[in-house]
Amino acid sequence: MPEKKSKTTKFDVNKSFTELESITEWFESGNMDLDEGLKKYERAMELSEKLRERLEQAENKITEIQKKHNQSID
Amino acid sequence: MNSVANAKNVAKNKVVSRSLIKDLFYFNNFNIYFLGISILATFHLYSIDMTIFTVSDFLAHINDTLSRAWNVSELCVEGEVSDFRVSQGQWVNFSLKDDNGLVPIFMTVWNLRVPIEDGMRVQVYGMPRIYPKFGKFSLSAERVELVGEGALKKALAALKLKLEKEGLFDPARKRQLVTIPNRIALIASRESAAYGDFVRIINERWRGLEIDLYHVKVQGAGAAEDIVKAIKQANQNHKDYDALVLTRGGGSLEELMSFNDEQVVRAIFASKIPTLVGIGHERDISLAEEAADVRGSTPTDCARRLVPDRQDFLRNLSYQSSAIEKNINNLIESWQRSLGQAIQAPSNWLAQQKQFLLHSTSKLDANMAQWFKALHEKHRSLVRLLASLDPKGVLARGYTMLCDARGRALTSISSLAIGSTVTAVMRDGEGDLLVKQIRTDDLSEQQKLL
Repeated sequence: MPEKKSKTTKFDVNKSFTELESITEWFESGNMDLDEGLKKYERAMELSEKLRERLEQAENKITEIQKKHNQSID
Repeated sequence: MNSVANAKNVAKNKVVSRSLIKDLFYFNNFNIYFLGISILATFHLYSIDMTIFTVSDFLAHINDTLSRAWNVSELCVEGEVSDFRVSQGQWVNFSLKDDNGLVPIFMTVWNLRVPIEDGMRVQVYGMPRIYPKFGKFSLSAERVELVGEGALKKALAALKLKLEKEGLFDPARKRQLVTIPNRIALIASRESAAYGDFVRIINERWRGLEIDLYHVKVQGAGAAEDIVKAIKQANQNHKDYDALVLTRGGGSLEELMSFNDEQVVRAIFASKIPTLVGIGHERDISLAEEAADVRGSTPTDCARRLVPDRQDFLRNLSYQSSAIEKNINNLIESWQRSLGQAIQAPSNWLAQQKQFLLHSTSKLDANMAQWFKALHEKHRSLVRLLASLDPKGVLARGYTMLCDARGRALTSISSLAIGSTVTAVMRDGEGDLLVKQIRTDDLSEQQKLL
């Protein structure tokens, strides 16, 4: 499945944001595991940087899809 | 039949069929009408260029002639619906009439895209045809459209009720859109203001969204089919899309009818991609919007609902980052505290032990001192006692002690022997005495000391 491959390599904004939110929640739950906390912190900083980058650099892209005329779609 | 004669026949039949059609609208009873045709045919038997048809050929000829009379796209008959009925769930029959005439209409349920009932005014598009088996004339309809706002509204209300009963607008079935879409399918007309507005607001608010535009007709004949096709096509790649947006600007009820089309509404309902539908308009909500997961009031509103505002998002992002940073710092600090406490604990214990020891020692010291004092006291009194027992003290008081030659104190008379020498110890010296006589207390004869 080529589309799946592209999905894993592609940066998914929504998933990243959801993950960031869950890390914020993890910290707010008063968890005391330092090792895990440091890992999560690192991940959070990475995610937030990527999200920021995405917002600052990317443009919205519009592609017009050609309709399939001679094919019945069900 | 040679080709010239054939052409002639066609020409002649065309004339006949024209008057035939004309007559059709004046006669309700087609059997009478066909009787007229046959009389005409009999009359022609005796004239030149006579053609004798079999019934089937004749009907085929008439149908052929009828089909040549108009272009499919040209013919539309407007009238009032009566005697509407559906048979076997797939065939629709009704009559279209006006004050002076009546045309039977035949069509499939699939082609009937608007709910109609007796008394409605409709326009019927199709071709006239005689059904050979029964010789029954009808207008075979491809499409029926409602005439007038009243009829449209009535039909719309009926369709809405029907779809509502089926659960197409059920709020419990509505899905949420993702917070931030990566890629969406946009179904709109690329020339429309709605499209322009939508894209403008997206560009104002967000970056990095991939929009696949499925350009469609949004009004007029074929618009509904176009939209259904686009929805289905987008759904073939439903995994690629986070949302399906269908939007157009406002318009009259008639212009917006493709958004009330049953097939469009069903396609939206069936979409695997969460749907966002927004039609700019003033009054009623279209059925397409009712069936959508999320409804935008206008194309602009759709864009706002689809993506967050960049500034808000960045603020939120930095809030979250700093909250996490603060949290990790707190966590580290608290661990440092715990660690400090952990290190502190043994030394605290040691100090405590020292303190205890000190306390114990000082108590011991005090006890010892006291004990010593007591001992000392006892010693002193013993010394006093001993002093009082010192024989020298006795000698001082004038007593004399007798000792033997080895210096042992003699306490009994029995240790004396006549003629032996004893030493008398006195306060200030001693002298040797010779025992001359002994007297024992219980004897009559006692020696005397010299």
